[in-house]
Amino acid sequence: MMVLLDVRNLTIHYMTERGVLRAVEDVSFQLEKGETMGLVGESGCGKTSIALAIMRTLPDNVCFSSGELLFDGEDILAIPAERYDQEIRWRKISMVFQGALNSFNPVLRIGFQVAEPLMQSRKISWDKARGEVARLFSMLGLPEETIWRYPHELSGGMKQRAMLAMALILRPKLVILDEPTSALDVSVQTQIMNLLKRLKRDMGLAMIFITHDITLASDICDRISVMYAGELVELGDADDVLTNPLHPYTRKLLAATPRLRGDRPPEYIPGSPPDLVNPPSGCRFHPRCPVMFDRCISVRPPMFSSGRVKVRCLLYG
Amino acid sequence: MPAREWRVFWSSPTSKAGVLLLASMTIVSLYVLITYPQDFGLRIWNNPGYWADYPKEAPPSWVNLFTADKLPEHMVILTDSPAYTYSDGQYYKVYRLDFQYEYSDTPSFLSITLGPAIFYGRPPYLEITVERPDGLTVPLYFATAGTVLPEETPPYRRFDPSQRIFLSGEEQVARSLQLFLRMNNVDLSYNDVARLGPERIIFLELSGEGLGERVLKGRYIVNVVFIGDTHDDNLSWAKFVVGGKVYGLSGTDRIGRDLAAGLLFGFPVALLIGLVTSVLTTSIGSSLGIMSGYIGGRVDEIIQRVSDILNNIPLLPLLIFFTFIFKPSIWLIVMILVVFGWSGLTIVVRSIVLQVKSEQYVEAAVSLGAPRWRIMSRHVFPRIAPFILAQMILSTPSAILAEASLSFLGLGDPSLPSWGQMLDYSFRSGGVNIGLWWWIIPPGVLIVVTGLTFILLSLGLEPVVSPRLRRMR
Amino acid sequence: MSLVRVLALKAVTLILVLFGVLMLVVLVLGATGVSDRILTAYVGEQLRAVRQELSQRIRDPVELERALETYRSELITAYGLDRPWYTRLPQMILRVLILDLGSSRTVTSFSGSSKVSDIILERLPNTVALVTTAVAISSAVGIALGARAALKAGSRYDRAVSLFSSVSFALPSWWMGLIYILAFSFYLGIFPFGGLYSTPPPTTPLERAADILWHATLPVLTLVTVILGGWAYISRTIVLNVTREDFVAVARAKGLKENLLMRRYIIRPAAPPIVTNIVFAISGSIGGAILTETVFNFPGMGRLYYEAITSFDENLVIALTYLYTLIYIASRFILEILYVVLDPRVRI
Ligand SMILES: Nc1ncnc2c1ncn2[C@@H]1O[C@H](COP(=O)(O)OP(=O)(O)O)[C@@H](O)[C@H]1O
Ligand SMILES: [Mg+2]
Repeated sequence: MMVLLDVRNLTIHYMTERGVLRAVEDVSFQLEKGETMGLVGESGCGKTSIALAIMRTLPDNVCFSSGELLFDGEDILAIPAERYDQEIRWRKISMVFQGALNSFNPVLRIGFQVAEPLMQSRKISWDKARGEVARLFSMLGLPEETIWRYPHELSGGMKQRAMLAMALILRPKLVILDEPTSALDVSVQTQIMNLLKRLKRDMGLAMIFITHDITLASDICDRISVMYAGELVELGDADDVLTNPLHPYTRKLLAATPRLRGDRPPEYIPGSPPDLVNPPSGCRFHPRCPVMFDRCISVRPPMFSSGRVKVRCLLYG
Repeated sequence: MPAREWRVFWSSPTSKAGVLLLASMTIVSLYVLITYPQDFGLRIWNNPGYWADYPKEAPPSWVNLFTADKLPEHMVILTDSPAYTYSDGQYYKVYRLDFQYEYSDTPSFLSITLGPAIFYGRPPYLEITVERPDGLTVPLYFATAGTVLPEETPPYRRFDPSQRIFLSGEEQVARSLQLFLRMNNVDLSYNDVARLGPERIIFLELSGEGLGERVLKGRYIVNVVFIGDTHDDNLSWAKFVVGGKVYGLSGTDRIGRDLAAGLLFGFPVALLIGLVTSVLTTSIGSSLGIMSGYIGGRVDEIIQRVSDILNNIPLLPLLIFFTFIFKPSIWLIVMILVVFGWSGLTIVVRSIVLQVKSEQYVEAAVSLGAPRWRIMSRHVFPRIAPFILAQMILSTPSAILAEASLSFLGLGDPSLPSWGQMLDYSFRSGGVNIGLWWWIIPPGVLIVVTGLTFILLSLGLEPVVSPRLRRMR
Repeated sequence: MSLVRVLALKAVTLILVLFGVLMLVVLVLGATGVSDRILTAYVGEQLRAVRQELSQRIRDPVELERALETYRSELITAYGLDRPWYTRLPQMILRVLILDLGSSRTVTSFSGSSKVSDIILERLPNTVALVTTAVAISSAVGIALGARAALKAGSRYDRAVSLFSSVSFALPSWWMGLIYILAFSFYLGIFPFGGLYSTPPPTTPLERAADILWHATLPVLTLVTVILGGWAYISRTIVLNVTREDFVAVARAKGLKENLLMRRYIIRPAAPPIVTNIVFAISGSIGGAILTETVFNFPGMGRLYYEAITSFDENLVIALTYLYTLIYIASRFILEILYVVLDPRVRI
């Protein structure tokens, strides 16, 4: 298999009123063609920041960023912005943003907004682009007349489908889905998940599926990476991570999600997520860790390999 | 305000500036409230008699700092005992009023005021003369202190409480000046002398050819000779006023009012109007808004309709209409501003309350059976309180501006002189057209600064208020 | 609520406002006895005029008095002075509602007519022209300033614009006018102190137009100075809110060209609230121009209103108050409709 995206030592710091906020610290992972990877973690752990870095739309108050993002072997952080815009942006990598309900301009018709990237890249008119939009809509289960609707006239599920259509309009190789279902009702959530699975199967898309819900990730992902407080703490095949979680945080995360056929009630992770302006020393999870020992406070654990899984925990050193 | 909110508020320079300005305005207002008489407006400010001995339309004294030729300052010289006395059968009491005159321009007017005279025999005789620095003595004014009526008994009192002689407008003064000039070989008609007045004739150099252009600098002595019939005949005091061409910190207006006094008095008036109006408007507006949003149903419907109607009324024309028909009074203005002003806030507060109400924890409280007032005071009010406070502060300048505007149209409350009223008078008496800048710029600047103070405060509050509101979205 | 219902409700509200304001004015005039006083004075004045005229023809004093007395009672009945004021009320309101405005008492039009409609029609265009010009200039400049400030939020430029708008929020228009007169008319002598025409007015049309422009410069400048800051502030807030919307970030991520993004994703969504403000501003400034017109002795509706009130010209006051309200609510209604056109969210 070919590596599509190779993230190496990605680090992102924001400048805030309180000081430097270390949102993403030394994150590395690889994604292969056609593969779906889940990026899982509590909210505020830096998932969206990684996605925005890949999209090269980080906010202005980023004060430090480093690392490499190799896409098809080329570092897309290093190339000039114009080239990124012309070759990569939306053509090869696109994204469904978190909070898709507000992702549409309220005064423009849905179809037009979906078609905009197509019109701009192929320099074609709205009339010409419409056919393509209609095709995509029908594939995604949207009635054709949705093209003429305004955002406020659409339900949450329909908007999410339209967002997907917008992300797919230029047939990219990689789509980042940032919490694509978290604002939706459970039944709609299931529909969208099924749609995503179909897309994955039919189009050979690579996807980064961002969620705070590890069971949701398990439904669709080939591989799963778990983030905690800006760091990647566990990374491996979905089956391995789910059946045999190694990192104490992953275990907690799995225990905290309610299951349909559960034998135990869901547990809560004690404590609260750390302040990323003053992150804990050593292992960032140590203040909440049930199996913490002395070295955890002083030593920052490196990524250890344990079988096919990588884990950032001194227990496996 | 809880400590954290206060820190956020205090961290911005705008808030600091606003607080500083508000504090200074409060101090000035307190000073005025303590030191000014209660009936300042009617008895002093709007009473032309009080300002008779002040220069008219004089710019502030500090203009002298910027010019080579110094304009005369206002001088008041007072004495309450004679410099010397003598007797030749009649009793002479000589009151000396002397002063140094070093300015490059003549005074704007001269006047003398005499305190009560007491006598036991024939009415005393008064002689007022001026000794100039060049040694010439100018006779000014001669008179007897009235006549004695047959039924009166001694001691007789005249000039009670005082008698003011406006030398610059007195016919007799002009006559004696004409005589004085002729004795010094200067021939001028009576009309010319009256036009020039004692303030020029006494203070200009005299040469053989006539009245000079240059001011005669040096020591001037005004002698008030009081010639009585008995030893006990007495004049209590004498006051000589050399009308300046500059006055005080802020100059004077057409009738001689010390503008600094009026400007200071404007502070408590503006704060009073602004704060009373904004407090009333916001309390009514927000309580109706909370009621409307929280109770809902018919109450909501009625409140919304009424505020919608009020919201669509053109305020200024009605404000003018009402203040004109009813007597202009500050309370009327405040009342109208409140009655027509609460509706905008009601609509906004209502929509915020509706949002808060739909939030989970409030719904939870409701389902747990918490009483309505408790939910309002525990959950709803704390969330919107900073917003309401900010609105209150923000609505203060509009009330101040409204009063100023009405006053400018001549609809101000005469018992409470305000900056708007000062500007009204300056505009109506044509002060603008003759460039009396000290009468026009300061009151307006104070209006703007006062308004700005509250705007700065509300800008400073914004970072406290908006996260709370945003959290609700 | 359906759109029709919303608009209908608005219309009803606005008509209520119109009616309410009219009622209020008439009630206040009646209940305070001002109306009676005015009419009595009016009768007295007419009687004096008639006495002069009659005394030429009727020599006998008794006869004269009798004639005058009949005339007097005729007048009193005609004005309704023999009835309590509240019985005159419905008639008065009805007349105004159908725009039968009657005639003024002392104020006359420039051509000498004392028909209220003549007087108003002569002045209304001046005010409308003044206000629209000022709003057009200040909105154009203010929106540009504000939008730029929003796009550079936090910069020194942004802070300067914010400070300027704060100051202008506290700035009384009439004082600004006084300052301009002081500066430009008194010290520099480049603009007239007031009025709208020179005396005598120039004869050729071109010179006449230039003359009017010259006279109108300072009033327009005054209004512009005072409302410009508000414009900058409002547009800054609106644009800033729009730029923070998720859809702008999405549009940027999908690679939309910056000028398209500006047009479609920032200006277009910001347009409905900004247009609302333009209409608000015009309707609001027509009332607000009373002060500016007074300062510049500008022959518009505002000064007319002031003259009418200070000379107790009842009919004129009622008519003008009515007209102010009418303009105000008419513009509000136009606004409702504009909003429907501009913002698809309220279209149903
Ligand atoms: N523009 C920003 N400025 C400052 N801090 C930010 C910004 N965006 C995100 N953060 C902070 O960075 C951390 C990671 O945020 P994010 O990447 O959005 O996490 P997630 O998507 O996992 O919820 C959070 O603590 C968040 O508060
Ligand atoms: Mg996120």
